[in-house]
Order: sequence, then C-alpha cells, then structure tokens
Amino acid sequence: MKIEFWGQEFKVNMVIGCIGGFLIAIMSSMFGFGGGPFMVPLMTVALRLPMYLVVGSSLLAIFFNTSISTMRHYQFGNFDLYFFLAMFPAAILGGYIAPQIAKRVSPLVVKRVACMGLVVLALNLLGVY
Amino acid sequence: MNMRKGVVPWLLAAMVVLMGSNGVAVAEGEVQPANQPAAAAVTAPTIVIDKTELNNGGTIKVSGRVPAGKPVYLEVWAAEHSVRANRFDSELDKETNKRPYIFYISEEMPAYYKIFAPKEMQAKIDAAKKEGRKWSYSALLKDMGAEAAFNIPAKMKIEHYQSTLMASIVGSRGDLLPTMDEKENRKRAMQLTKARFRSPDKVFAADVDIKPDGTYTAEIKIREGLSPGKYKIVAVVDKKTKSEPATFENKIAFPLVYLDNAGTSLNIFYPFVLSLCVAIFGVLMGAGGGFIMNPLLLALFPALPHTIVAGTVTPTVLFSQGSGIYNYSKIKFINWKLGCGIGVAMLLGGFIGPKLTEMITLDQFKFAFGWILLVLAVLMFWQTTPGYLSRNKKEQAILKEFKKRAEEAAKGGK
Repeated sequence: MKIEFWGQEFKVNMVIGCIGGFLIAIMSSMFGFGGGPFMVPLMTVALRLPMYLVVGSSLLAIFFNTSISTMRHYQFGNFDLYFFLAMFPAAILGGYIAPQIAKRVSPLVVKRVACMGLVVLALNLLGVY
Repeated sequence: MNMRKGVVPWLLAAMVVLMGSNGVAVAEGEVQPANQPAAAAVTAPTIVIDKTELNNGGTIKVSGRVPAGKPVYLEVWAAEHSVRANRFDSELDKETNKRPYIFYISEEMPAYYKIFAPKEMQAKIDAAKKEGRKWSYSALLKDMGAEAAFNIPAKMKIEHYQSTLMASIVGSRGDLLPTMDEKENRKRAMQLTKARFRSPDKVFAADVDIKPDGTYTAEIKIREGLSPGKYKIVAVVDKKTKSEPATFENKIAFPLVYLDNAGTSLNIFYPFVLSLCVAIFGVLMGAGGGFIMNPLLLALFPALPHTIVAGTVTPTVLFSQGSGIYNYSKIKFINWKLGCGIGVAMLLGGFIGPKLTEMITLDQFKFAFGWILLVLAVLMFWQTTPGYLSRNKKEQAILKEFKKRAEEAAKGGK
C-alpha cells in the first residue's frame, strides 16, 4: 500500500503491519496496556517508516485497540467503577504535571530507570523473589 | 480528513458507556442463607458470638455447644456481597484422554468464604499449602472431614460453556451447556472456590477449640480489606446437625471503598497516588503507563483479581490516547490511512484479548506478563544504546522540523 505524508510517498507492507498489529492487540488487550511500546518499534523497524510518520499514526491504531478492548472488558464485567474513578483523575492530572518536569530530566535517564523497573516487576511476576 | 471530526464524539460515546449504569455488571445475587433442616432438638448445636459489629476486620469470639465428642466446623460467609468466580477446565481427563475445554462461571460466590475447623487440623492445611498451586479443595475438605460444612457455594448457580477454538476466535464463551445436577454442581463449586480464593489459608483455618463435654470456642479473625455488610456463621457437626446462623456486620468507612466487582475493600487514595506517579512517568518516557500500572497493581494489591486490573486500567489510558490523537490531528500529523488500516487489524485483536484474560488463571497471567515485560525491558534498553541514539537523533531532528512546519501550517490555515 502506498501512502502519502507531507509531500512524501511511502510504501507500506500492510500484511506485516496488520499481522503484527493483530498480535500486539491481542497481547496488549489481554494484559490491559496500550501497546505503544511495541507498536512504535514494529512500525519503525519492521515497516521501515520514519519516526515522524509513526508517532501520530501508531497512536491512532492503538486507540482502535484500546476502545474495543475497553468495551469487551466492560461486557465481561471486568470493569470496576470506583477503582476506575480513583485512577482516572490521577492519570489526567499526571498528563498535566509531566510536561512541566519533562524539560528538566533527560529522556535517556527516564528510559534507563524504566528499564530497571520493568526487570524488577517482571521478576516479581515470574515469582523469582 | 473528515475522520478527524469523528474523534471527539467517539470519546464522548466511550465516556458515556463507561459512566453508564454500573448496575448491569454488578451481580445483584445475594447469597441465600442455608435452609436449616429442623435439627433434632436434643442435639442441635448452639452458637453465640461476642459482638455483632466489626470495623474493617477484627476478631470475633464464637462459642457454643455441640454433642459431646464430635468435631465442629464453622462455615463463615459474606451474605450481602457476592463476586464472580470462573475457571477454564483444560486439564486432561484421565478416563477419556481428552481435554474438556469447559468454561465454568458463577456470579454468586460469596465475597468472603471460609471454613474454620478444629485446631488439630492445622497440619492438614499446612500440608496442602506445601503442595503449592496444585492443592485440591475437595481433597483437603474431605481430609479434614469438613464436607458437611461446605454448603453455601454448593448451592450457587453455575453456568458452564463448551468452548471451542472457533468460539474463542469470535470471542464468545461457547455453547451454554444444560444445568448441572446437584452433585456435579457441588463438585464444580469446590473448584470455583479454589479458583477464586486461591490459597488454602484463605478458605480454611484451624481455630476451633473443642472440650470433651462438647462446648467449643473459636476466635475468628476477619482480615482487613474485606467486603462490608452482613456475615453469617453456622456451626456444623454433620449433614443434619447444624446451628442457626449467627450474624455480624463488617463496617468500612471512607477512604476505604468496597470494589464491587473485585470483591475487596481498598483505601481509595492508594490507586490514586500510584496512578498519578505512573502517569507522570509514562509521559516522560513517551509511552502510556498501562504496562507499568498493571504489574504494579498486581504486585502491591494481591487481593485484586487480574481481570479487574486489566479491565479497569485499559479505559484509563483511553483518554490520554484520545487527547494525543486530537493534538496530532490538529496539526495534521496523523496519516489516517495507515492508522486506520493497522487499526482495523488491532480492532480484531482487541476483541479477542479480553476474553483470553478471563480464561487464564492468575499464575498464567503473571507468567506471560512477566516475559512480556522482560521483552519490553530489552526493547527499551536497545533504545538507549549509542547506535540507536545516533540514528534516533537524526530522526528526532527531522521529526521536530516536520512538526514545526505542521504547526505553522495549522496556524496559517486558521
């Protein structure tokens, strides 16, 4: 498939994109996260698309996934209203506070901290400690 | 570009769905107190409790009298709140050598259920604990001689579905099978009790002290963070010899809030603070916080079922994604064709995923999620390596340049 973006034309292998997107969607909706951290590498590395094209479009693709999985989780009774009401305002508030801090910290440091945090959490889930 | 207009009403529609009556999902079913057969007057056990009110857990002293020389079991359950219990049976059947693939679900499991046995039984509970995940509820119940005390869950309504691969793909539970008979229902109820409460010490305790003359005393400890409302206790000796139920009430107060679908009470400020930190961190990192929030919640609040965690965190990230799309679309920084193309494939995946969450046990959930996080950590580490960074620097520069142009174009357009 050919797409046009800001005057440039790109060829996209939609078969890889769709299969990858499908698998990422199953995984992320199953475990309840967005899927962005997997979608961006898929689109930049596997589809060879430039970053400036990926940032917005991957978000749009993920939004499809998140909205349908929200509906499905709700349908199965996996949704708890009070729990949601406790987390939702905090998530929005965080979205406003974060840009204020963002200027002062290096994204590299944040990513490395996140890396370590993920390993610790993963080992916890796997029951290593 | 007309799709851009579609985003805002979508968001609104999603919000309406979310805020809409929660009552649909909430199981209304109240557990019916056991119908007491009129026990013979002479041998009817008695039960007395020292207080009728608890404040977010505590200890209740139970005493009474049963026929001398017999063991007594106390069946305690939350009478006002019930939760969902489900189990996917895919274990190999030894007789037919086939996997049944049957999905059992009940909405009527008491939010709290525990059988208190005589003190001598402690060793048996400990032995079951040593078996780890593989412990069997029915075997332990039988071993402790407490089968007569298992009454409330045995009567709950259990639906079961024959699941097939096709049904899984279209995301349904499968075909509803005819209602089970009493004996089968009882057997499945035991498995569901284990599936819901997981560990032996959540559902059994050896606390009852019996004197040779038949008087007994027990100190029943009710944990913190359980469901509010009325609880009932029945002293059971055997199938026909039971006491009348004694009732006490567990009270909880703000900021402790009972989560109806999760079946536990929680200080509502904890998830708030946690979510705030994760959201800030997520934005700094340039990714949604969902994949950090989920494992954190699972690690910090083991009482929360994984289905609830996954199902409630998902809508939280929906809003930040929506606003992100709106911001990008304002400066025409989204390729709708690409986004929607892959989006349709993700739509299918998102349809199937939540059903799989329900099918797997917490242990499987943790195992798979653990590996996903490790992969993610590697992926993230790769993004901090020098090779990636130098390539990324160019990309980021182009990204900034394009964004600037886009922003100017958007301004000029107005």
